[in-house]
Amino acid sequence: MRVQTMSQNVTAAAEKPALSIIDYSLSYKTANGLVAALKNIDLTIPKGKTVGLVGESGSGKSSMAWSVMRYLPPNAVETGGAIRLAGEELLDHTPWQMADIRGRRMSMVFQDPSTSLNPTIRLGEQIAEVLMRHRGLTKAQAWAEAEAALARTGITRPKEMLQRFPHEASGGEKQRVVIATAFACEPELIIFDEPTTALDILTARQILDLFNQLRDETNVSALYISHDLGLVSRVVDEVSVLHKGVIVERGLVGEVFARPSAPYTKQLIGAVPNPDRWIGVDAPAEPKTLIKLDGIGVHYGAPSKIQKMFWPEDAEKVGFWGAKDVNFEVRKGELLGVVGESGSGKSTIANVLAGLQDFQGNLEIEGKTVGSRKAIDRAYRRRVQIVFQHPDASLNPRQKIGTIIARPLKLYGVVPREKIKARIAELLEMVRLPAEYADRYPHQLSGGEKQRVAIARAFAAEPELVICDEVTAALDVSVQAAVAELLVKLQKDTGAACLFITHDLNLIRQLAHRIAVMHHGKLVDFFDRPDARSEDRDPYTKALLDAVPVHTPVEAFEIA
Amino acid sequence: MTRAYLLRRLLAVFLVLAIVTFAVFAITTMLPGNAAIMILGEYATPEAVAALEKQLHLDQPWYAQYLSWVAGILHGDFGTSLRLSLPVTQVVGEAFVNSAMLGATALVAVTITAIPLGALAALKRGTGMDLGLGLFSYLGTALPEFVTATLLLVFFAAPQHGLFPAGGFVAPWENLAGFGAHVVLPAATLGLVLMAHISRQVRSEMSEVLSSDYIRAARLKGLTEKRVIRRHALPNSLAPAIAVISLDIGYLLGGIIVVEEIFAWPGLGRLLIYALENRDLPVIQAVTLLLAAVYALSNLLSDIVIALLDPRVRYA
Repeated sequence: MRVQTMSQNVTAAAEKPALSIIDYSLSYKTANGLVAALKNIDLTIPKGKTVGLVGESGSGKSSMAWSVMRYLPPNAVETGGAIRLAGEELLDHTPWQMADIRGRRMSMVFQDPSTSLNPTIRLGEQIAEVLMRHRGLTKAQAWAEAEAALARTGITRPKEMLQRFPHEASGGEKQRVVIATAFACEPELIIFDEPTTALDILTARQILDLFNQLRDETNVSALYISHDLGLVSRVVDEVSVLHKGVIVERGLVGEVFARPSAPYTKQLIGAVPNPDRWIGVDAPAEPKTLIKLDGIGVHYGAPSKIQKMFWPEDAEKVGFWGAKDVNFEVRKGELLGVVGESGSGKSTIANVLAGLQDFQGNLEIEGKTVGSRKAIDRAYRRRVQIVFQHPDASLNPRQKIGTIIARPLKLYGVVPREKIKARIAELLEMVRLPAEYADRYPHQLSGGEKQRVAIARAFAAEPELVICDEVTAALDVSVQAAVAELLVKLQKDTGAACLFITHDLNLIRQLAHRIAVMHHGKLVDFFDRPDARSEDRDPYTKALLDAVPVHTPVEAFEIA
Repeated sequence: MTRAYLLRRLLAVFLVLAIVTFAVFAITTMLPGNAAIMILGEYATPEAVAALEKQLHLDQPWYAQYLSWVAGILHGDFGTSLRLSLPVTQVVGEAFVNSAMLGATALVAVTITAIPLGALAALKRGTGMDLGLGLFSYLGTALPEFVTATLLLVFFAAPQHGLFPAGGFVAPWENLAGFGAHVVLPAATLGLVLMAHISRQVRSEMSEVLSSDYIRAARLKGLTEKRVIRRHALPNSLAPAIAVISLDIGYLLGGIIVVEEIFAWPGLGRLLIYALENRDLPVIQAVTLLLAAVYALSNLLSDIVIALLDPRVRYA
C-alpha cells in the first residue's frame, strides 16, 4: 500500500525521477553455475530525495551500487530490467559513454577513504582531476575550484589540505576530500556506500551532519547504502530493505521502523543494540578483585642511537604513549566494557593483559604482582584468554577446528588426553556449533561461526578472564547480537570475568556492569552502567554518547 | 626521509664494506699455493722466493698484512699488480669504466622495455599476449647466459651475414657507432634474464594495484583509461620493480663475468678471471671489493628512489 502512495506522488510531480531501477536482475557466473545476486529489483529515487538501501553482507547491496555505476565484474550477467538516470537508459550505454557520465552526472562516496584515495597523489590533484576531466577546466582553475569544494565540506584550511598526501590527513579529513570530489561536478545522483563504517564515532557523526548539510544546499538525489538501520534512519527519506537479493520491504523510514511488516525487517530491527535492554549476567554479589592494573604504560617507537647522538631534539619527538598511567581493576565474574575510538589505547590494554605487549607499571592478579611481560607465567596465561577481532586472522587456516580447540586443552593439560575429543564436542556445543564441525577447516565456516570457534578456544582453557577485543565489529548486526548473547551465556555458565573492548556504545550498555572510557591512551572515565547518563560524566564520554546513532525504533520514528 | 635514516643507511654501507674487506682478504690469503712461487714459477730458487715474499710482505703476520692493505685503500692505493706491474687503481679503473658502460647499457635497455611490457601483461591479463610474454619471460629466466650468448652469436653474429661483431670492444669516445655495434649482443645477453625478472615483477604489482580500491575509485570518477593507467596505476607499481632492479644489479655483476669472457669485453669480469688464473692478489682484492661496493651503493640508491616515489615510505 505504501508503495502505491509513493509512486502516485512521483507521477503527480510529473518529473522524471533521478534514478529508477525497474525489474532489474543480476547473476554471477561461478564454478557452481549462475548465482543470483539481485532479483527483480524495483527502486525509485525522486529528485532531491535520499533513499536508503539496507542489508547485511551478501544481501546484494554493493552489487546494486556497481550495477548503477555500470562497473560490474566480467562474470556478472544481467538478466533483465532497466536502470534509468533521469529517464536515460544506462544499460544501453557504451563504456565510453559511461565514463563521461561517471563523476559528472553521478558519483560515489566509498566506505573506506584510506583505501579509496591514491596514496601517492596529493589530495588536491585527486579532486582537481575530476574537474579537469568533466568541466574542461585548466589546472589552475581546477585547483582553485577544488579549494572551494573542500571549503564547503568544512575543512578549515583547504589550501593547505590540497597539498597533503592521504597519509598526512585524518580519516575524517580524507572522507571530506572524497565527498568534495563526489560533489565537485554537481551531479544529479550520488551513491554513498557505507561512508561512515570505517570512521570513528565522533567523526562518523560529523560526516553524517555534513552529508545532511550538503544535501540541503545542493538538492542532490542520493542512494545511501548501509547495514546499519539506526544510522540510515538519520539521513534518508525512504528505505528499502534488501535480503538475499530481494527487496523485502520498502517505505518511509519512520513507518518501516515503527511497523515493520516483513519478518526479516523485524529480525533486523530486533538485532539493533538497544542500550535500554539489559541482557548481561547478574553482577557478582560481592565485588572481589581479579586483576588490578597499576600505573600501566606502553610507549611505542624508540629513537635510534644515531638520532639520540646527533639530533636529540628530533629523538624526543619519536614514538608516542599507546597507554599512559592506566589504573583500574577487573572484578571476578563481571563484564567490564572498555570503549574508545581507534588509537585510544583500548587494544594496547588488551595486549598488555594478554601478555602480548611489554609494559611499564604492575599487573596484580589476586594479590600476586607481575612487573613485566617476561614475568607472566603459564598459570597467568591460562587464567587470562583473549579473543581477537578478525577470526579469519586468528584461526590457522591449515588446521581443523578440532585441532584449534584441542591446542589449549593439551597445552594446559585441562583434561586427560583420552577425553580431549569429548571435551571438544562439549565446547562446540557450548558455543552452539554442531560437533561435526571439529573436522572442518575455518574457511568452510561463516564469519559468525568462526568467531564462535575463537570463543570456544578461549574458554577451553577454563580462564578466569576473557578479553574480547572488538569481537563483534567484523560481524553483521544479527550475527553480532547472537555472539553477544552467547558470551553472556558462557559467563553465566563458567563465572569468568570478561573485558569487552568495543567502539559500540549501544552494545556495551546492554552487556557491561561497569564501563571504562579511553582517549589518547588515557583512562578518562570509569563508571557503573546505570550512571552512563549522569551529569558528572567526563565531557568526552558525553560527546561519545551524543554521537551514537538513534538507537530505538521509537525514537527514530519521532525524529523522522 | 629523515637525516637520521640516511645517515644510518650510509653507516650500514660502510660497515658492510669493512666486513667485505676482511672477508676478501681472508679468502685471498687462505687460497692454496704460494703467490711468490706462482709468480716466479716452480723452478725458482728458495732465496728468490724468500726475497719476493719479503717484497710482497708475505712474510709478515696476517693482521699486519691486512692493516697495511686497508691503510693503503684508505689512501687510494690498492698496491701494484703482480703480473702487469701497473698500479692496481689504473688497471681496475679502466676495466671498471668498460664494465660500467656494458652494465649501464643493459640496465637502461631492460628498464625501458621491461616496465612497459610488464604493465601491458597486467592490463591484458589472461589473454594470449599475457601468456606469450609469460612464456618468453620463463624462457629468459631459465636459460643461463652462456646458452643465451651462444644462441645470440649463432643468429646475429654468424659469419654469413655478420650483423654484429662476435666480440671485442671499441671505446665510445673513439667510435660511437662501433661501440654500439659491439655492445648490442653482450648487453642483450645480460638483459634477457633481467627483463624476464623485472617485467614479471611489474606485472604482478600492477595487477594488484589495478584491483585496488583507489583504481576503482579513479575509474568511477570517470577519468580516462589513459589517465587511470599512467597517473594512478603505473607510478604505484614501480617501487617494487626498482627494488628488484637494485637486487638484479647483484645478478648483473655475476653475469658480467661470464658475458665479458664470451664476448671478449675488457671489463672487470675478464680482469678478475685473468687475475685469478695468475694469482694476482692485489687485483683480485680490489675487483672483489669494488663489486661489493657497487652492490651496496646501488641498494642504498634504490631505497632513496623508492622513498621519493612513495611519500609514505619514511623510515625502514
